[in-house]
Amino acid sequence: MGEIFDWIDNRFGIRQPHRKFLHRDIPEGVNYSFCLGGAALVCFIMLFLSGIMLSIYYVPSETEAFNSIVRINNEVRLGWFIRSFHKWSSNLLIISIILHTIRVFIYKAYRSPRELNWVAGSLTLVIVFASGFTGYLLPWDQKAYWATEVGTSMAKTIPIIGKYLLYLVRGGEDVTGTTLIRFYAMHIIYLPSCLFILLWAHFHMVRKQGIKGGL
Amino acid sequence: MKNEEKEFYPDYLAEILLIVFIALEVTIVLALVYPQGIGRQINFSTPYRPLPEWYFLWLYQIVRYFPGRWAFVGTILLPVTAVLILIFIPYIDRGKRGRLKAILAGLILLLSFLIFTLLPALNP
Repeated sequence: MGEIFDWIDNRFGIRQPHRKFLHRDIPEGVNYSFCLGGAALVCFIMLFLSGIMLSIYYVPSETEAFNSIVRINNEVRLGWFIRSFHKWSSNLLIISIILHTIRVFIYKAYRSPRELNWVAGSLTLVIVFASGFTGYLLPWDQKAYWATEVGTSMAKTIPIIGKYLLYLVRGGEDVTGTTLIRFYAMHIIYLPSCLFILLWAHFHMVRKQGIKGGL
Repeated sequence: MKNEEKEFYPDYLAEILLIVFIALEVTIVLALVYPQGIGRQINFSTPYRPLPEWYFLWLYQIVRYFPGRWAFVGTILLPVTAVLILIFIPYIDRGKRGRLKAILAGLILLLSFLIFTLLPALNP
C-alpha cells in the first residue's frame, strides 16, 4: 500500500502540500469566536450552490419572473426548499459577517500589517448588502417591486448626478423589466465575481499574515 | 507563538467541521420550519410602503428623518460616511489613544445600526 502511495505521490506531489495544510501553526488564544468568518464562508458557499440551482428554473423577465417563482415553489421538486434555503442562508450570512467584523474589531486584528485585509473585509460586507438588495427584486411581487421603487428612488436625491444615476440603476424612468434584468445580472454575475476576488484576497492575506491570536 | 496543546489537525479541523455542519443544519432547519411564501402579484394601481429586509431597516429609518431637499443626507451622506468609517477603522486607530478613537467609532456604527434597526421594527 505504501509503495503504491509513494508511486502516486512521486507523480502527483500531494504529500507536501497536505502536510503544510494539516500542520500549520495556530496561535494561542484561538477560540470558537474565530469560526465566525468560516461560518460566513459556509453561508456564502451554500448561497452559491442553492443560487445556481435556482437559476435553472428562474426566468428574469417582466412577464415570467413571478410565474417562475410560483413554479419553483409549487411544481419543481424541492424547489420550495432550495428557495427557502437560499433566503435563510443569506440572512445567516449577514448575521455571521457582522459578528465576524465585531470579533475582528475586539481582537484588534485590523492593526498593522492586517489593515488591507480589514479593508477587503469591509468591502465584502458592502457587496453582501448590495447582493441582498438586488436579490430582493427578483421574485417580482408586490413587496419586491415597491421596495425597489423606494430603494432606487434614493439615487435621485443625490445632487447633480442623481437623475443620471437613477436612470442607470433602473435602465429607464421607472422600475420595469429592464431593471429586473439589470438587478438579475448584478445579483448573479457582477456582485458574485467581486465577492470571489475579494474573498480570494481576504484568504490569501490571512494565510500570508497568519491568524492574530488572543487579546 | 506555537500553540502547544492543540494542533490544526485533528483538533481545530474537527472544530471547523463542527461549525460547518452547524451552519448547514441551522439553515436546513430554518428553511424547513419557515419556508419562503409567495408574495402577491404586482399591482401598479395600489402602491404601498413595503418594509425592506431587516438589514436595511436602519436606512429606511434614517431616510425618514430627512425629507425634502435634505433627503440626500439620509440616502447618501450618512450611509457613505458610515461605510468610510468602517473601512478606515485601522487608520483611525493610530497614534496616542488610537484604540480609544477606534472603539468610539466602532461603537457609534454598531449602536446606530442597532437603534435604527430596532426603531422601525418596534413601531413600523
